Amino acid sequence: MTCVTGHLTNVEFTSEYKNWSHPPPESLFTAPIVTNVHDDKKDIAKNIADQAKYARLLVIWTDCDREGEHIGQEIVDAAKKGNAGIQVKRAKFSNVERAHVLSAARRLVELDEKQVNAVAARIELDLRIGYAFTRFITNNLKHLGGPLADLVLSYGSCQFPTLGFVVDRYFRVKNFVPEPFWGISLMHRKEGKQVKFSWARNRLFDRMTAVLLYERCLAAKKAKVTKVQEKPTRKFKPLPLTTVELQKAATRLLRMSGQQAMTIAEGLYNKGFISYPRTETDRFDKGMNLRALVQKQTTDQRWGPFAQGLVNGGFQQPREGKHDDKAHPPIHPIAHVAPTALTYDEGRLYEYVTRRFLACCSEDAKGMATDIELLFGDEQFSTRGVIVLERNYLDVYIYENWTDSTELPRFTVGEQFEPTEAMMTEGKTSPPNYLTEADLIALMDANGIGTDATMAEHIQKIQDREYVATTTRGGTAATEGDEDGPDEAPATRGGRGRGRGGRGRGGGAGGSARGGRGSGLKVFVPTQLGVALILGFDRMSFETSLGKPFLRKEMELQMKAICQGSTTRRAVLEQSIAQYRQVFLQSQEQVGVLKQACREFIFGQGPRA
Amino acid sequence: MDLIPQLRRAILAQSLPPPSQALLTTLTSRSPPPPIPSLLATAKARLLASDLTNTTGTVVDPSMPVFPPNIDSATVQESTIPQNTHVQVLDIENLSLSRWEQVEELEAIERGERTRGRQVIRVTDEENGENDGSSSSTGQTQASRAGAAASGGANAVHRLVLQDGRGKKVFAVELKRISGIGIGKTHIGEKILLRAGAVVARGTVLLTPENCALLGGKIEAWHEAWMEGRLARLRESVGADRPQ
Repeated sequence: MTCVTGHLTNVEFTSEYKNWSHPPPESLFTAPIVTNVHDDKKDIAKNIADQAKYARLLVIWTDCDREGEHIGQEIVDAAKKGNAGIQVKRAKFSNVERAHVLSAARRLVELDEKQVNAVAARIELDLRIGYAFTRFITNNLKHLGGPLADLVLSYGSCQFPTLGFVVDRYFRVKNFVPEPFWGISLMHRKEGKQVKFSWARNRLFDRMTAVLLYERCLAAKKAKVTKVQEKPTRKFKPLPLTTVELQKAATRLLRMSGQQAMTIAEGLYNKGFISYPRTETDRFDKGMNLRALVQKQTTDQRWGPFAQGLVNGGFQQPREGKHDDKAHPPIHPIAHVAPTALTYDEGRLYEYVTRRFLACCSEDAKGMATDIELLFGDEQFSTRGVIVLERNYLDVYIYENWTDSTELPRFTVGEQFEPTEAMMTEGKTSPPNYLTEADLIALMDANGIGTDATMAEHIQKIQDREYVATTTRGGTAATEGDEDGPDEAPATRGGRGRGRGGRGRGGGAGGSARGGRGSGLKVFVPTQLGVALILGFDRMSFETSLGKPFLRKEMELQMKAICQGSTTRRAVLEQSIAQYRQVFLQSQEQVGVLKQACREFIFGQGPRA
Repeated sequence: MDLIPQLRRAILAQSLPPPSQALLTTLTSRSPPPPIPSLLATAKARLLASDLTNTTGTVVDPSMPVFPPNIDSATVQESTIPQNTHVQVLDIENLSLSRWEQVEELEAIERGERTRGRQVIRVTDEENGENDGSSSSTGQTQASRAGAAASGGANAVHRLVLQDGRGKKVFAVELKRISGIGIGKTHIGEKILLRAGAVVARGTVLLTPENCALLGGKIEAWHEAWMEGRLARLRESVGADRPQ
């Protein structure tokens, strides 16, 4: 038994291509490349070759994902140097718990050549595209002097779109134009209770129309109750945990960076406390013994009693999301660990994973909702009251809450009354917020930038490169468009779609009070350099700017296609290289646009003349 | 036999704007005359594509009913439209969306992007890529572009500018949601029949599904100009038309 520390080999251009300006960068798209063992990995490779001499069978136990598969192949290559005839098998596993490992050892499979090829294609593309554009950008902008004179301006096919999202949001905030809007608010006092009704039209961006409708309400004098409905409602328990959701939660709830969270999660996985933390799957396999996992948590001081309750009959099968990477289950605790055995941050992350898992195995929170609708003139108004009856999963999932609304007085259908107060209201739209890390991860995820495992690295990279900086958002901001919005929905609704209101972003939910939970949240803003790079490429106005996610998304899809066997490494390489090469040539032609953007944003020389 | 009154009845039965004598005569002058259904279809197309304010009488009857003279008076709290009146749409706005929101969406479409649902951004310009441009596929893309800016949910409130046969313009607001009205759905030059009794409040017609009939149609040139100028008008209305 021996080990490696990540990739053993790297691909490089041959020595004739070491010079940054000659041969010219575009030659890197077709230049010969060689695979070498990393200098600092030579001992490891040699060790593997030596060990192989005395072995008949090599079993690969690297992480079960694409990169892990490729590392497995690198090990095989190293081993064959020592023993060309060695037999190779692959162990498939998702956690390092003893029983699981033993069963993986009994069911060895072959290395998946398709995944190896996908990664090989990715590595080659990253090398060629990254080097060519990095040299191109650096060489060209160097001449502008100032801060650019000695800077390496790195390009990465994930980095740039990631930066693009930050720049895009920055300009949406900066260019935002607030607009006034008007509405009608209705309040009625009855049985000593005060109820507020909201207008079905919510708000109108035209004063005259709002006044007109308001006047007609007043003219009608009396409001008439058209609907009183009481029905059960529920707040859904969370879905099983994926990597992306873990990172979002860690940045939002635990104030870690995505990368920190991944490092900590990997540590917990290596110690056997949680399952493999890189997964896209948000549904548990039916065959998994989840009760046994819950049982292990019953000894905990904090959530032990809750887990015991689940064991004693409260257990419910988790909800099933739509994603399944067919490799790993959702992230869940494998063994119980006392907080004293962990560092502070490890403890918090483990707590989140465990509470989330227990919440998944619990039941939705249940309540009773009362909906009241009325007509005031021709205008519809409504209100909703909720009484929480059973908290269920909320008892363990401390990151969410659900509370009773104010109690409603009794109304009956057909009842007429003169509202205590009917007022015209006025508000103003507010700009969107700068991106939080959770927002950025969600954007990358939705647009196929990076894999769940690498997103955090890209975000770190654009900070290290000083393309973006972080700043702290003021106390009034709140998380926006996030999973933990009210998941409340009528129980009678068939599908369990998440109750995510299609709340438009731009224009903001101005006027409505936002929760104050996000105080001190870290947000991203681009540096002048970041802005200049993205706008420089955007303004070249070819079909797909490097600052947009489209090219990269396509590449990511191609990787998946290789894994599924629907295309080959060779075909993907040819196509992607041709695509990027085309973009490269166009960029070269229009390099003046990029330079101008730098002059404008870095040196403040005003817009294009 | 008596083709003209027959055709006129068929046209009026469909609530279309009243045809002029000239139109009826031209349509029925072919010999042998085409069957009524095809005459009706032709008449309908001509009427819906015509400009109602054109008083030369080549298409619509210049003596058709128009708005009462004081219809746009802001001091009259409530009045009604005395008789069925045909109008055409000159403008449409969605009052439920901020103008800036619409500007952002249109600008994104101009860049060939589209935000779908939760920030999924995609290119829409795929038309030339694969099927080398059969005209139908480009047509579809254009339709989907217009559709992108359409929206208009269950509670959207639209305001139209309507014009009668004499050129009088009034505002009309959806008092109740009418699903056929929407940006991208409603064309400029589209014809609407306002029924007698429709309420006008402070100079604004209050539309409900019962008091109006959307007849369709458009005036191509007006519609195109409207589409082209929409972004600029929106920007201007929020004061974002200054050079940046």
